[in-house]
Amino acid sequence: MLQDGRSGDRVMARLGTASRQFWTLAVLTMLEAVRQPLFLLLTASALVLTSLTPVLAMHRFGEEGKLVRDSGLAFQFVFGLFIAGYAASTALSQEMRRGTLLTVLSKPVGRTTLFLAKFAGVAASVTAFSACAILTTLLSERVAERFMTGEHLFGHITDWWTAVRLLAVPVVAFALAGVHHYRRKGPFTSWALLILLAGLVVVLLGSGFFDRGGRWAPYDMAVQWRIVPAGILVTVALIVLAAIAVSLSTRLTTVPTVTISALFFAVGLAAESFRGAAEQPAACLAGLVRRIVPNWQHFWVCDALDNGGVIPAAYLADTAFYGAVLCAGILFLGVLSFRSVDLK
Amino acid sequence: MTEQTTGNTVVEVRGLVKVFRDFWRRPKVRAVDGLDLEIRGGEVFGLLGPNGSGKSTTLKLILGLLHPSAGTIRVLGGNPRDVRNKHAIGYLPEESYLYRYLTPREALHFYGRLFGLCKSTLNTRTEELLAMVGLELAADRPLGEFSKGMARRFGLAQALINNPRLIVLDEPTSGLDPVGCRQVKDLMLALVRQGRTVILSSHLLADVEDVCNRVAILSAGRIRAEGRVQELLEQPDTVRIRIPSLPEQEMQALLTQLRERTRQEPDVDHPSMALERFFLQTVAQESAGGEDAAALAPFLAAVPPIDAADRRRGARKKEATAGDGS
Repeated sequence: MLQDGRSGDRVMARLGTASRQFWTLAVLTMLEAVRQPLFLLLTASALVLTSLTPVLAMHRFGEEGKLVRDSGLAFQFVFGLFIAGYAASTALSQEMRRGTLLTVLSKPVGRTTLFLAKFAGVAASVTAFSACAILTTLLSERVAERFMTGEHLFGHITDWWTAVRLLAVPVVAFALAGVHHYRRKGPFTSWALLILLAGLVVVLLGSGFFDRGGRWAPYDMAVQWRIVPAGILVTVALIVLAAIAVSLSTRLTTVPTVTISALFFAVGLAAESFRGAAEQPAACLAGLVRRIVPNWQHFWVCDALDNGGVIPAAYLADTAFYGAVLCAGILFLGVLSFRSVDLK
Repeated sequence: MTEQTTGNTVVEVRGLVKVFRDFWRRPKVRAVDGLDLEIRGGEVFGLLGPNGSGKSTTLKLILGLLHPSAGTIRVLGGNPRDVRNKHAIGYLPEESYLYRYLTPREALHFYGRLFGLCKSTLNTRTEELLAMVGLELAADRPLGEFSKGMARRFGLAQALINNPRLIVLDEPTSGLDPVGCRQVKDLMLALVRQGRTVILSSHLLADVEDVCNRVAILSAGRIRAEGRVQELLEQPDTVRIRIPSLPEQEMQALLTQLRERTRQEPDVDHPSMALERFFLQTVAQESAGGEDAAALAPFLAAVPPIDAADRRRGARKKEATAGDGS
């Protein structure tokens, strides 16, 4: 019994060590990812494009805000794909080729712990990007032109005040990060991202004090919160893409990783069309593709938001579970690949 | 240099083979070809060889970073791929692989946390290591801005963060100036005096000759020669005699006698100081009164007064004296 107790203590000690190492490696991976200039560039580009959509939109497609909402989520998906691919490649493939992974693995760190921590760091950086994208979409949707009637408002009104504040956020973020870098030599990119995120939250909270005409009004943020579950589903999809990219990075460099991840994305978007292929000559192949490739249509629910629709919590939970199962399977293959790779 | 082996085997390699394969799994390069090696505790073991001889591959196999194609490796009595073994190992890779956006302080904290060091130990150890390698003033600069020499110094610091028993150094003096080289060599000797084991891989033969107890010379993945430096380099059929300068007449008489006895023309010259020592003395004089002078003095005292060959002679003389005494 004493031996069992001691072996139990050893197991707990090892779990404690592994979890501490996991956390340390994941935080470093996230820091390294967000400090890459390309990460900030892609995030700022997605933010600016989403912010400009209500200004540039010429048609409402029968519902005010639909174009902005769909565009915002689409930018989140596409830019997120490249961020996931690039972050995964930086986290693993480039480190393997640069040799920094050699130094880490010469320490008492298991390959499984390292691989999973790398994925966690990439997933965290993708989530940070998604948070910026969702906040921007919420605010852009508020900016979008609407037909308003009220005490001092009548007609199609664009919320220019919120639009200006929203477009000012990246400018202010870059400026403050530059000042911090000049005075304190702090890392520019990670500070810019942090200020970007904080700025979006401030603008969102502050927008509640103004109506669409820019006047003081009783507090009402007046944003479509039903967009958030749709954004969360896109985030889950991006995390699954990150798992694919990290697993591919154990063997491939940046360009093949991003290319194959994009291929999975494209084929997965068309997965629904393989469902009706039972009577076709390539039915077996279609069935195989449908079972292996993630069906991204489960995560893309923009149409459900039309005409005031909401995404049920049960659907959100089921799809998140689907994403978790996909991640588990993909990461299992990734671990097997990483454990057998030679680090030259 | 005195021999300080403790006798226990720290690294044991038998029949090691490593074949790198291409994408189709066809053999591409036979980097290590039937290597047998034994490294004992408390010594500095040198792994020499030209570029592409398999030195770095051998070290990576010993560290469990590569899978051997054949053969066995035991490190500190265990499997090199066992994570638990790595608590006692420190490694300086051939190239300075750094996290570009971290500062030295952040990076040392990162590596220290992987070993489970507590915060206070980590803070103390980080400052001590940064001071030891001369990076205390650059502690908050991103590693991506470092020169090669600075990167190498940091690499040395991270290899020692866990107070390792076994230190594996791959080209440790690469990119360092003579002052830095001397510091690294003195550091290796100091580590061995504490009972640790150092495996040094280098193609800078002068550095290896200065510090190593035993060496193995690799070529095309195989050991071509192995043994104590003293034994490998000695020329037992030749003797060198060192005497004070004599007047010309006496010198000629001596040479004539030697000529008659050996039937060969004796080779006579004035012994010269090692270039390294001359350089270090000169730099110390140039910076006398400044910071460099203060920084240089401790390790200058650690530099032997004569070159490596004479150090070995001194060791033999010591052994002979000890034998007479008994």
